[in-house]
Amino acid sequence: MQAIEAFLSGRIWIRQFIPFPQELVQQAIDQGNAIVVSGISADGQCARCLETSPDYVIPYTCATCRTICRYCRTCIKMGRISSCTELVVWRTPPTVNAGLRAFGWAGDLTPLQNSASKAISKSIREREDHLLYAVCGAGKTEILFSPIHEALQKGLRICIAAPRTDVILELSPRFKQAFPDATIHTLYGDSPEQSGYGEIILATTHQLYRFQEAFDLLFVDEADAFPYSLDPSLERGVKKAGKPSAPIIYISATPSKTLQKRITVHSTIFKRYHGAPLPVPVYRAMWNYERQIRKGNLPLPLKRWIEDKLQKQQPFLLFFPSIQLIDQVYPLLHKIDSRIESVHSKDPQRKEKVMKLREGMLAGLATSTILERGITIPHLQVAVIGSDHRVFDRAALIQIAGRVGRSAKDPTGDVVFFHNGINRQMDAARQEILFYNKEGRV
Amino acid sequence: MNCCLCDQALRFVPSWRGIFLYEAPELLCQHCRNEFSKITEQGCKFCGKEGEAICRDCHYWEEHGYRELIHSGKSLYRYNDAMKDWFHQYKFLKDVLLAQVFAKDMREALVNERAVVVPIPLNNEKLRERSFSQVDELLLAAGIPYRHLLEKYGETLGEKTRQERMATKRLFRLNGEKVPKQLVLVDDLYTTGTTMRQAAKTLQEAGAESIRILTLIRA
Repeated sequence: MQAIEAFLSGRIWIRQFIPFPQELVQQAIDQGNAIVVSGISADGQCARCLETSPDYVIPYTCATCRTICRYCRTCIKMGRISSCTELVVWRTPPTVNAGLRAFGWAGDLTPLQNSASKAISKSIREREDHLLYAVCGAGKTEILFSPIHEALQKGLRICIAAPRTDVILELSPRFKQAFPDATIHTLYGDSPEQSGYGEIILATTHQLYRFQEAFDLLFVDEADAFPYSLDPSLERGVKKAGKPSAPIIYISATPSKTLQKRITVHSTIFKRYHGAPLPVPVYRAMWNYERQIRKGNLPLPLKRWIEDKLQKQQPFLLFFPSIQLIDQVYPLLHKIDSRIESVHSKDPQRKEKVMKLREGMLAGLATSTILERGITIPHLQVAVIGSDHRVFDRAALIQIAGRVGRSAKDPTGDVVFFHNGINRQMDAARQEILFYNKEGRV
Repeated sequence: MNCCLCDQALRFVPSWRGIFLYEAPELLCQHCRNEFSKITEQGCKFCGKEGEAICRDCHYWEEHGYRELIHSGKSLYRYNDAMKDWFHQYKFLKDVLLAQVFAKDMREALVNERAVVVPIPLNNEKLRERSFSQVDELLLAAGIPYRHLLEKYGETLGEKTRQERMATKRLFRLNGEKVPKQLVLVDDLYTTGTTMRQAAKTLQEAGAESIRILTLIRA
């Protein structure tokens, strides 16, 4: 396969940013291997992210083409696309490369994991969508390895999409180990350029805008927000990146009711891989916590809880509803113990701080909801401050509780909801965890 | 509609003013709007920089052959983090819509202006590449009429160091239009003042008598 074909195959790319000489691009177009499409279609749809809303596709007087042009604001961060932007789409389908492939994963699956894995393989063969509904700590990634290996041997092009970069970065080394002879590309916001034809693509959901009818098989991790996620364009992105017949495997610990209804084939795992039940959240009232913190007092129940964890030398996470509150509480926490740090989404040192907590160099972290998923720290204890705040919905609370007791050596731990009044989301989260534990016992 | 910077849903706040008078719809949420910082105190008489009555940069110009070119001037906003983000998204991600964000401020600053408003131009190659002129769009959004008098030579200041900028010889030529006696030069960002001083010099030589300047941002 030529380098330019390997790069462009399945992609939709701004012509001037294709990392190959323009003559080569022109040659591919002349030979009919690639076509040029307008960035914004005549009826006002962005060809890359499929945005149609006039709130996001904006007309303006363009000095480049000297007409009224439109540009798309939804995917503007990936390089602006306007009506006069030329996008190149590769047309010639790649040759299917079937055959035996190496498999570098030799772990054991629990019987539940095994049957889910088999069910997913069957869905892929029958080209039907599938929902893997498995609790936090069920070992979801391991379940996927065998179906992916089977698909790889058939020569399918595979995509694993997740909404957040952290998740993609964590998956990448595990996939490279499991599929040592496959070309794996890891794509996120500022990812380095990766050469060759990616057979397995690990990408943030946003990066899928840059693909078109590329994949024979897609996995959507953390699909709980689907289909009514905050950003409906992401779902369009997934659909567009796959071939029309490509099955989509949705993976979630907290799928919405709509998704559960829409996808008819399910496999469920309500038990963690180590078999112990999920830690159940405990409610503890902490009235007017915001005011107390604002006045410079750490609320007593929280103080006692932290002191208890410090004494037992257990690492802990404190989830706060806003960055503002974290900034206010940080000096108060620092006074108790200087090994308590804070992180939030805009913190450039976020990865290092989580590392330090894992290695025991930090006692605890005050965090916003960014750490609600994807992190595993042995012996971790968790408190949610203001669990009645609207940022903590059912799914978020279940995810937060799911951080605790993930290792087989210490499958228990504290999950405390410090609240200013119990609300439905808290109850829904707690009920659901109790339900999992009941189902998982059978 | 969502906030055009953070994409959070905008909350509609009714007001008596809004009922009786037409007000352009707000594009920003209150939070994003508050992040911008207006220059309020009286600063440098030429560029509006806070602090001394004549800032260091303007002092340099006055000493080095650009004396009595600019009558007075001001800038509207500080170049803080929010403004840097806005500027990047507007000028380099080419989000033309963001010109509207400061339409009201630009309008207030220029609506009663009797002198001719003259935007600082881009060179043609740059204009074709960017697809819009960022200064013109600010004025268009504000509904302020303007007239181009200048053309820019090939060079851009963007990649230059401070010393290189201030030593640049000639940036502008006249475009052939008649130069009026009184005018206001408008630009988006004031960094060292090279652009403004050069433009003013070219226009003064062509017969302008009173030149004032207005920039959206003072770095």
